[in-house]
Amino acid sequence: MEEAVYDVFARKRRAEPLRHIGYLDAIDDALARVYAWKTYDEENWFEMCVVRRSHIIPVNRTDGPYAGRATSRLGHRPGKTG
Amino acid sequence: MNATEFPPEAREALHRLILSLADTKRMLGIRYSDWLLGAPSIESGIAAASMCQDEWGHARLLYAMLKDFGTDPAEVEHARTAGEYCSASCLDEPFPDWAAVVAGVVVVDGTLSLALEGFGAGRYEPARRRIPKMIAEEAFHLDFGRAWMRRIGEGADEGRECLAEAVESTLASAVTCLLPDDEEATLLAGLELVADPQEARAQLGRRLADPLAVLDMVPATDPPRPRDWIASRRRPAGEPAGDAVERARGDRNRALFVE
Repeated sequence: MEEAVYDVFARKRRAEPLRHIGYLDAIDDALARVYAWKTYDEENWFEMCVVRRSHIIPVNRTDGPYAGRATSRLGHRPGKTG
Repeated sequence: MNATEFPPEAREALHRLILSLADTKRMLGIRYSDWLLGAPSIESGIAAASMCQDEWGHARLLYAMLKDFGTDPAEVEHARTAGEYCSASCLDEPFPDWAAVVAGVVVVDGTLSLALEGFGAGRYEPARRRIPKMIAEEAFHLDFGRAWMRRIGEGADEGRECLAEAVESTLASAVTCLLPDDEEATLLAGLELVADPQEARAQLGRRLADPLAVLDMVPATDPPRPRDWIASRRRPAGEPAGDAVERARGDRNRALFVE
C-alpha cells in the first residue's frame, strides 16, 4: 500500500486565515482526514483541512517539497534523487 | 429526568446499563492502547493513542453518572475484581492482530456508539447532556475503521480472510452485550431511556452493511442470547483476561492517585 504525503492546514477562529500546521503520510484521503484530526489535536480547531501534496501546484519554484508530484516526506519524485 | 425520578427496578437497570457502557469503553481503550506501537504506520499508532484516550475520557464521564445513583465512581473504577466487570465479552482478550483492531473499531466501537446514541436520545437528562460530544468524537473512530476495512477488503485474500474472521468473532458478542434484547432492555426501552432493542439491532445491520460489503459479508445483528448470560452484568460468563483489569484499575499507581 503506497502512502502519499498530505499537508495539514488549520485555523483556531473563523477570522483567522488557514495556516500550514504540519504533514502526514496516509494511504488515502479518508485516513488522511482522521490522522490529521487525531495527530494535530493540541488545539480546539475551528477548521482543519488536508490536501494531498501532489495536488499542490508550485508557482515560482522548481525545488523543495512542493515542486513536482512529491510522494515522500522529502519531496522526491519516484525514481529520482536530489 | 434524573435517576431519582425512575422506579427502583428501572434505576437498577439504568445503573447496569451505564456500567456496561463505561466498562466496555474502558476495556476498548485498553485494547486500542496495545497498538500504540506496532500499528501499520506511525499515523495509525497516533490515531490508536488518541482513540484510547477518547474511550477512557468517555468511560470517566459515564462512571461519573453513577453518582446520581449513590455509587462512588472511584470505587467502581479502582476497586472491582475482574469478575465484576460488565464489559462486552469480545474485549476479554487482546486484539491479536491489526485486522482485529479494525474489526474492533467498526464492529465493537460502532455498536457501542449506536447504543450510546440511543441512550443519549432518551429521557435520562445526564446522558442527554454528555453523550452528544462523545458521539461527535466517535465519528472519527468510525471513519478510521471504515477506511482501514475498505483498504484491507480491497487487498490480498489473506488480509480479507483475517478481517472477516475478526468480524465474525466479535459481532455476536458486541450485539448481545451492547444491544441486549432481554427483559431489562425492554423495560428501559419502555421508559424511553434507550432505543427499542430490535430496532437498534436492525439499525446496526443497516449501518454495517456498507463497510462489510467489501468483505462480501452480510451482518447478522440478531444473534441469540448466550446460554450463560448473566443479566446482572449484561454479558455472558467470563471476565477480562490478563493484566487489563489491573491496568484499568491503576493497581501499580495506587499510591500515587491524586484524586
